[in-house]
Amino acid sequence: MMARGSLEGLRVLDFTWVLAGPYCTRILADYGAEVIKVQSAVTDPSGESNLSGYFNTWNRNKRSVTLNLNRPRAQAVAKRLAALSDVVVENFSPRVMESWGLDYPVLTQANPSLVMMRMSGFGQTGPWRDYVAFGPTIQALAGLTYLTGFPGREPLGMGHSFSDHIAGLAAALAILSALEHRRGTGKGQYIDLSQLEAICPLLGPAFLDMAVNGRAQEPVGNSPMGQVAAPYGVYRCLGDDRWCAISVSSQEEWKAFCRAIGDPPWVKEPTFASPESRVKNALTLDKRVESWTKEHTPEEVMSILQEAGVPAGILQNAEDLIKKDPQLSYRGVYASLFHPQKGATFFDTTPMIFSETPAQLRRAAPLMGEDNEYVLGDILGMSGEEIAQGKRDGDFI
Amino acid sequence: MLKGVKVLELADEKGLYCGKLLAQLGADVIKVERPGGDHTRNIGPFLQDVPHPDKSLFFWFYNTDKRGITLNLETPQGQELFKKLVGSADVLVETCPPGFLEEMSLGYEVLKGSNPGLIMVSITPFGQKGPYHNYKASELVASAMGGQAYICGEKDTFPLNPFGLQAYHLASYFGAVGAIVALLHRNMGGAGQHIDVSVQAAVAVALDHVNVKYFSENLIAKRQGSLHWSRGFRVFPCKDGHILLSMLYQWDILVQMMAQDGMAADLEDGKWQDPRIRMSELPHIIRVVEEWTRTQQTETLMERGQVLRFPWGVVNSPETLSDNPHLAARGFFMEVEHPGLGRAVKYPGSPFPPNDGSSKTARRAPHVGEDNQEVYGELGLSQEEVSDLVSQGVI
Repeated sequence: MMARGSLEGLRVLDFTWVLAGPYCTRILADYGAEVIKVQSAVTDPSGESNLSGYFNTWNRNKRSVTLNLNRPRAQAVAKRLAALSDVVVENFSPRVMESWGLDYPVLTQANPSLVMMRMSGFGQTGPWRDYVAFGPTIQALAGLTYLTGFPGREPLGMGHSFSDHIAGLAAALAILSALEHRRGTGKGQYIDLSQLEAICPLLGPAFLDMAVNGRAQEPVGNSPMGQVAAPYGVYRCLGDDRWCAISVSSQEEWKAFCRAIGDPPWVKEPTFASPESRVKNALTLDKRVESWTKEHTPEEVMSILQEAGVPAGILQNAEDLIKKDPQLSYRGVYASLFHPQKGATFFDTTPMIFSETPAQLRRAAPLMGEDNEYVLGDILGMSGEEIAQGKRDGDFI
Repeated sequence: MLKGVKVLELADEKGLYCGKLLAQLGADVIKVERPGGDHTRNIGPFLQDVPHPDKSLFFWFYNTDKRGITLNLETPQGQELFKKLVGSADVLVETCPPGFLEEMSLGYEVLKGSNPGLIMVSITPFGQKGPYHNYKASELVASAMGGQAYICGEKDTFPLNPFGLQAYHLASYFGAVGAIVALLHRNMGGAGQHIDVSVQAAVAVALDHVNVKYFSENLIAKRQGSLHWSRGFRVFPCKDGHILLSMLYQWDILVQMMAQDGMAADLEDGKWQDPRIRMSELPHIIRVVEEWTRTQQTETLMERGQVLRFPWGVVNSPETLSDNPHLAARGFFMEVEHPGLGRAVKYPGSPFPPNDGSSKTARRAPHVGEDNQEVYGELGLSQEEVSDLVSQGVI
């Protein structure tokens, strides 16, 4: 018997697509909320398939209802569903919900305690409100791409849509807080979350350096930020494209590091005596460190250094994470669910272990419209004939 | 939104942002530091580059809107006081090494004895239990072990760690989400609970395509410079900086735009109508697009693209962003008063701005023990008692 989910009893009407929005509602669904994904083959701007691995990863535990929101009857159904929901989430460009008559002033009339989350790239106001953005766009505009690189070289940025995950988390956090507020006051609210504004604060100290010292920070490669630490970086190890990260930030860690690698003569050189001199001579130091690491696998480097109390870790790739890492496996970070058409589907779960109400894996991602009967019939009380007629008319497709 | 929620923060870099997020949402966050102040006050950059516990801009940023108290957890009296503080809190956010609080008899099992409704969020590099639970980490090590650094950087050289504390930010976000999930559960009649957050795992579940590609196609995602994994986006140089462009969407419109500038080269050729050829000969497209972007200004090009619904963006620096007209129109940046400095300082604002028209600002980070009298006073201690505890080294 599975423990009761923390958010059981909450209903979320989910108009989101791609990654940022679905990541938000995935978290709510994992902790027990009933998330109903509104989809339509007609109005879907992404053309994403419910059968793709990508879709399955972000949409497990959710239900799917098909509503062709270009049709007035589907819009009316969406309004009735919103009236019976606690939360509505959407990540379209502004004006899309308005064009369907599903904006906050309309929805809140029937349901004053509704929490509505709108999470577009730039927010619902301001000169860029109608601009288009994906993760890479937001990361570039927010300064993350510029600062992730090497000094004096072309900006590189992150290798994935990191900002979509942060935006999803920020939206989930705001929704949960609004629900707590509603519990205390009975009042719902509308939240205008700008993905750009969720990412900018992640470079906080760099903004303050600009504001206070007038200094424009530049990319630093793998050097430590704001701290004296060396050796600090990513070191080549034995094997093809194998690396280990090492960070030594105190004199004790330096001594432990020297002992762990067998106290080779070079560690006694005066240029490496103090943290300051090690930072000053970091290039030479890194070469010496690498002369040791490249004789070992990253697994060996990590285990030798960690045994000695020195922070070190493999630069793990997908295979390391999923197949080899004993810690992630111990925590059950990866799991699978049976999908009626795809068979076993695998995905990452949650980084949190709750002592009382752990995350739940109830079902694989839905097929498009898989839950039409439940949503239209059980929740809204429509008869089988009404549902079938709506489908024939092109409302529920 | 979290008015009335009381949060105790016993955290280093890993959990500072967790406390800040909860404070921005309106919770009363009480930051507990060791007497003399936490080591995070020694992290730069510093005001005028002078290292000083009250001049760390790092500390300033991560501790806005928090009240600050000091407490020596290594004294019996300090431990008793800590239990009292926990007794009146809804949430405790802590980042101590696993087992550290238990050794002082301040683990979750003990704390819940005096406060069954307590929600305790523990953020550690690898988690409370398991084969690596005693391993040490830094932002770099956690980012590497979580799989984020391997996919960043140039193809033929070493992996690159993303700028800033992005692994810790992910863990902090999860910690804050977990805290409020558990708070809702408790406030609807459930029990309190302990939430064990692993920084490594927080990174490993926020990798976009990485796990998906392995599970669906048995592919190991690699780094490829600024080229997005979908191969749909890349950074290009302009006359005055860099821009992030999409290359494969709305192909005809893109080529038309380049042709207007006389720079479409051979891309008007019919063969490029085939998306498969565009994908397989992407390096050629990149060369031609780059010749064109080198003649362009970043902001003008972004405007031209956005009008045509291209998801393009200037590669901004914090410097260029500070004057961004869109953020300015939304009032994103906020002025924070620093009386000691004689002027207000411009901070990045909250992702959760108040929507009731109230002004957006924040209280600056606390000085060491700044709120001792007030917070311990709320626990029922008199001014004399607090002063005595200070002289005994407990506070």
